[in-house]
Amino acid sequence: MALANADIRLSRFNPLPRILAFDDFDDGLHGWCELVGNHNGDLNELQPVFRDMRPAQLSTCTFFDMGSHGAVDGTYSMKLATRPRKFHQAVAIKRLTSAADGLVQFEAWFTYKAEQTFGGDDPGARAWDGNYHPSEAHFGSFTLWNDICEGTEPRDRYHAALRYENTNEEGEFTQRWLYKTGLHPTTRMLREGFDSNQNDVHVAKPDMWAPIPGGDQQLCFNEVPTKVNWHYLRWLFDLSTRRNTELQVNDLTMDLRDIPVLRFDEGYWGISRLLNLCMDVRTTSNVRNFLYMDSVVISADW
Amino acid sequence: MRHSFTAVIEKNATFHEDFETEPYECAWASEARWFINVMELEGDGAKLSARVQVSPDGIFWCDEGSRFEPMSEPGMYSLAVRDFGGWLRLDCELDGTDARVRLMIYLVLKE
Repeated sequence: MALANADIRLSRFNPLPRILAFDDFDDGLHGWCELVGNHNGDLNELQPVFRDMRPAQLSTCTFFDMGSHGAVDGTYSMKLATRPRKFHQAVAIKRLTSAADGLVQFEAWFTYKAEQTFGGDDPGARAWDGNYHPSEAHFGSFTLWNDICEGTEPRDRYHAALRYENTNEEGEFTQRWLYKTGLHPTTRMLREGFDSNQNDVHVAKPDMWAPIPGGDQQLCFNEVPTKVNWHYLRWLFDLSTRRNTELQVNDLTMDLRDIPVLRFDEGYWGISRLLNLCMDVRTTSNVRNFLYMDSVVISADW
Repeated sequence: MRHSFTAVIEKNATFHEDFETEPYECAWASEARWFINVMELEGDGAKLSARVQVSPDGIFWCDEGSRFEPMSEPGMYSLAVRDFGGWLRLDCELDGTDARVRLMIYLVLKE
């Protein structure tokens, strides 16, 4: 902590004792890459939801009305962008392994937006009133998640996933944090006949998400699609208990220790000590959705 | 050492009509090279054309001025671009009767 306070760029974070990564996107993407599903060299084998996760971008947050917005510091942030197609999802992943069990913390300064649209407001949509802007309803959700596998034994693998749902599948405002109650359908599960809607990498069906108690939160969309305000986020999880510990987003801290994290019954080969960190953005409208990260710190107590 | 990044802009995608690629931010880069790997091209007189487009904001676009030579058979094709500002995309035309193309499109950026 003393180190963090002494460094002007780190002083806006609260890292655990060992910093595994400090990803300031002013100098590159730092290993955050496009997620691709499993295949045998033939890309036709990719399960549909994994075929088009989009490459991350180094963004200047440039908009048609005011030019470049920039980031918290410097010019660039990492941007994930969906296609302008309902339920499309853009996913970035950083692939590590763990040297010990214990706490891992992901911190970020982030913001989110729906792309500017012109004219032709959605029928029945709440109109612009000088404060509220219908663009806010064009944003679906963003999700932070991990992919952990301790070894090759059954139940060694699990994903914790925390989603900020701005609008639900019907495009209605919900503005709350969710956790998932269904398994991520792996390529092997699908090859064995597992039924999946294939429009969300996390779950097979949309009802496999549940609200986090105390997780209602309105973020700072800031009225129009061309103003961005950066938010602080801190997610702590524990490799020892195979559970989330807590999630802090600005002034809201959610205790997650009693939130269940599902494990896979079967064993997985070749991914021992897997420690993947992932983030995604998913649109619930036919408008591009963007998730921006100014900077990320990943730290551990081991 | 200069930064570089390769983005897969289209991955094993199949098209039956004209299309534009998704906007990609590239303000940090001073040079770019597009690659189009045409894996399948079918249809009577099938031909793929691609023009480079630029934009100040990722929304409104115009031609940059350079274009791929028309592609009428599978293969790898490439085109270098400089002085492109902050955004790049390709505006692609697919001509021919019942034309169909399956391809990969890469954007290789360097500081």
